[in-house]
Amino acid sequence: MASQTTAVVVSNRRVGSLYYALEMDCPPVAETVEPGQFVMLRVSETLSPLLRRPFSICKSYPATHPSRAKRGHIVILYKKVGKGTEKMTGWMKGQEVDLIGPLGNGFTLPPYPAPGQVILIGGGVGIASLYPLAERVKSREVSILIGGKTEDDLLWPHNSRRLRRNLQVATEDGSLGFKGTVLDLFLALRKDPGKGETRYLYACGPMEMLKRLADLTRSERLIVQASLEARMGCGFGACWGCVVRTNDPATPYHRVCKEGPVFDLKEIIWEG
Amino acid sequence: MNSYERPDLSVRIGRITLKNPVITSSGTFGFGREFEDFIDLSELGAMIPKGISLKPMIGNLPPRVFETEGGMINSIGLQNPGFEAFVKNHLPYLEKIRTPLIINFFGNTVKEYVELARRFNEIPSISGLEMNISCPNVSRGGIVFCSDARMTHHLVRAVRKVTDLTLLVKLSPNVTDIGAMAKSCEDGGADAVSLVNTFRAMAVNIHSRKAELGNIFGGLSGPAIKPIALRMVWEVSQRVKIPVIGMGGIMKAEDAVEFLLVGASAIQTGTANLVNPRSSLEMIKGIKDYLIRNRISRVTKLTGLFLK
Repeated sequence: MASQTTAVVVSNRRVGSLYYALEMDCPPVAETVEPGQFVMLRVSETLSPLLRRPFSICKSYPATHPSRAKRGHIVILYKKVGKGTEKMTGWMKGQEVDLIGPLGNGFTLPPYPAPGQVILIGGGVGIASLYPLAERVKSREVSILIGGKTEDDLLWPHNSRRLRRNLQVATEDGSLGFKGTVLDLFLALRKDPGKGETRYLYACGPMEMLKRLADLTRSERLIVQASLEARMGCGFGACWGCVVRTNDPATPYHRVCKEGPVFDLKEIIWEG
Repeated sequence: MNSYERPDLSVRIGRITLKNPVITSSGTFGFGREFEDFIDLSELGAMIPKGISLKPMIGNLPPRVFETEGGMINSIGLQNPGFEAFVKNHLPYLEKIRTPLIINFFGNTVKEYVELARRFNEIPSISGLEMNISCPNVSRGGIVFCSDARMTHHLVRAVRKVTDLTLLVKLSPNVTDIGAMAKSCEDGGADAVSLVNTFRAMAVNIHSRKAELGNIFGGLSGPAIKPIALRMVWEVSQRVKIPVIGMGGIMKAEDAVEFLLVGASAIQTGTANLVNPRSSLEMIKGIKDYLIRNRISRVTKLTGLFLK
């Protein structure tokens, strides 16, 4: 169940050269959020900007978390891209934020032990929503692939050895890791026969990336779950503004905010 | 406690008594259920869920929304599941809520409007109907019903004949003389008019040099349109005797009071619901507080108080 609540900023700091990590005290969301779900933030108390902004939850600390100081906190990652996020960069500790969440349907975790390999693949700021998933996937054979244009685009906010060990990065300019897109890296790794068959693939990133991933995996016996991005009006299913075309004959357009943001990639029909 | 401390918020529209003058407008309220996590739906004056057509409509190509200065443009394209799926999947939820239910509906021909009105008329849990007349009349070469006062009059009369439910007509602002349109609805037998629907608008991306909306055109709503909507509600209230329901960029109680003052008997909340799902209930409280502060015993006294 989603709630509309007042979150309080705990910290808002720059990470890397492009991103900000916003940590807020927000127990109702921290307690119930599932990997892949998101929140809608009201960026201003005035009417400019008017609409809320959607953000994936990157980390959450429920009441059972060992660190007492962190309990009830959530973290989102954002990049300064427009008027709304620009305003957010000025938020200081103690700032009150009108927040709605958790929203949408998140990822379905693979069974444990998962048959074959599990791959997580993320591009750009989409990496944020893979993070809580990576923490929850318990399979032994996990690969986490993240990519960006340059080293500055990459973000993997964790020091855990397990989550680091399985991480591989790609940059388009070759400034770090594999040179190419994260999908190029994905294809290169799949040529390696030592890894065993992949059965579960999870993806987040820009629509163009997901579309190409859909093309690449169309004929395979893979379960591909992808978190989609869309311009949203409300974020909670009221306006039908953020739709994506699916193969559902009865209702072709599904709401990214309500039926999604995570979809079975094979159900998506790519338009335009 | 005297009546100034407990003002009467109820209003009457046709045969419906609303416990307060705040109605959630179609297209911004989903099918009600989307709001259940945030508000008690039984506190609303009335609910108008998403507009319904006879057959399902898949809606427009995305992107469907674009934010502008003080507003948003949408081109949802009236996506809806059609009459039968609405009655089966959404009505059972809505009819359990103790708030009058008004159904927004539309068609592509007079026959379709009449058929839908006839069917909704048979459903006891429905209190009223709101006709969306901003649709193309396919049997008249696709010109929109609301662009012609005579065509509108004919349409409203045809629908009036088949239903005794309270009948609202939702007016488009994209006309030369909205007062004349309202008059033709009144003469056709409408119980009330609601206005305004969105303003036809568009936005262009200078980098891609393409439209921001998949459908190119959309409808502008939000605070940016409020002053024009207010003027239109004032104009219409001068022309008709039936109740006028005001809307267009109402974001807070003060906005709602402005619409009441210029002649609205009730108001509809739209874009505000998307920004803040609690805004309708906050407005009800705000209107009540305004009445108390100004020692006005009932909300109906506000209607048209402007210039008096």
